[in-house]
Amino acid sequence: MDKKVFFTATLLSQTHKPLPRIRKVILLLVLLGLLMFGCAPTTQVVLLPDPDGKVGILEVSNVKGTQTLNQAWQATESASMDRTPSKPEILEETKVRQVFQEALAAEPIPPASFIIYFRMDRATLSPESLSLLTKVMEAIQVRKSTDIIVSGHTDAVGSGEYNRRLSLRRARAVADILVAGGIDRENIHVTYHGKGNPLVPTPDGVPEPRNRRVEITVR
Amino acid sequence: MRISLIAICLLFICCIGTATAEEPRAGFVKNVSGQAFIERNKVMTSAKAKDRLMENDVLVTGQSGSMGVILQDNSVMSIGSNTRLVISKFMFEPADEKLSFVAQIKKGTVVYLTGLIAKLNHSGVKFETPAATCGIRGTHFAIKVEDPGN
Repeated sequence: MDKKVFFTATLLSQTHKPLPRIRKVILLLVLLGLLMFGCAPTTQVVLLPDPDGKVGILEVSNVKGTQTLNQAWQATESASMDRTPSKPEILEETKVRQVFQEALAAEPIPPASFIIYFRMDRATLSPESLSLLTKVMEAIQVRKSTDIIVSGHTDAVGSGEYNRRLSLRRARAVADILVAGGIDRENIHVTYHGKGNPLVPTPDGVPEPRNRRVEITVR
Repeated sequence: MRISLIAICLLFICCIGTATAEEPRAGFVKNVSGQAFIERNKVMTSAKAKDRLMENDVLVTGQSGSMGVILQDNSVMSIGSNTRLVISKFMFEPADEKLSFVAQIKKGTVVYLTGLIAKLNHSGVKFETPAATCGIRGTHFAIKVEDPGN
């Protein structure tokens, strides 16, 4: 950092005749440098296990170097941009939970996604689909969700217009069951895509059961 | 003459259409407790559940506040008290391969669980603090930035 400031200062004094004002500028630059680098607030980064227990990878870098975190509860600290982040070290879970108590308590449950399949040219739900919908209801209740996206799709058999209507009928059928189960319709956003958004792309006219579906996202 | 008038009218309608159609949305507030605010264009308003979040919004909490948000790519983020976080960039348009989320943490505590952006673009999610940059590849983590005022 000192080098940087010094370099800028020399540059200034080379390009201009040294004036008293220059001194002020240099002083200001040094102060700025100190503010930016010298007293930068320390950053602590901790890798947490995913909700499903898996552990990802995190790279913490600054001008001076990079540290990679790849174990649960592993942490590194960086005191400023011009000092290498500290060697990763595994912290006690209870301590991490204490430091991040408020943020962890406020962490929303991650959104959940569901797919309900339909028989060819049908917009009625099979018994299996109905039992999957009870899982959807649970997901809505546990999240107190006010943001439920229901999107209808078809396979590539039939005209675009026909499939748009079919996909809307499918999405509405699902939405209606959720409403019948006590969900506020205002919280459900129905969209329909016809054959335009297949899960498994096929040439036009090809039947594909995996594309006859309604996708539900509960957030 | 007539044709050009129609063209101008059409152009006008198109402009209105694009202006109101889709303001890019970054996400929404899921829960709040205590003093929690959204700062947009330098104006602070109290945050409440279902509030929508945009690029360049600043999430702010006071001494006793906390806030949880869900972003459009289904990632989830929460902040503890005395925190200031800027959503400096948010793009989630998978069809156009525009996938990026950059947050700046000025101070406080943040917990983040990645969503689709990190899954589809390995260098798409970044958290910047005054002393470091965190690049994330699909994971769950916590960051604390000391209050520079302390």
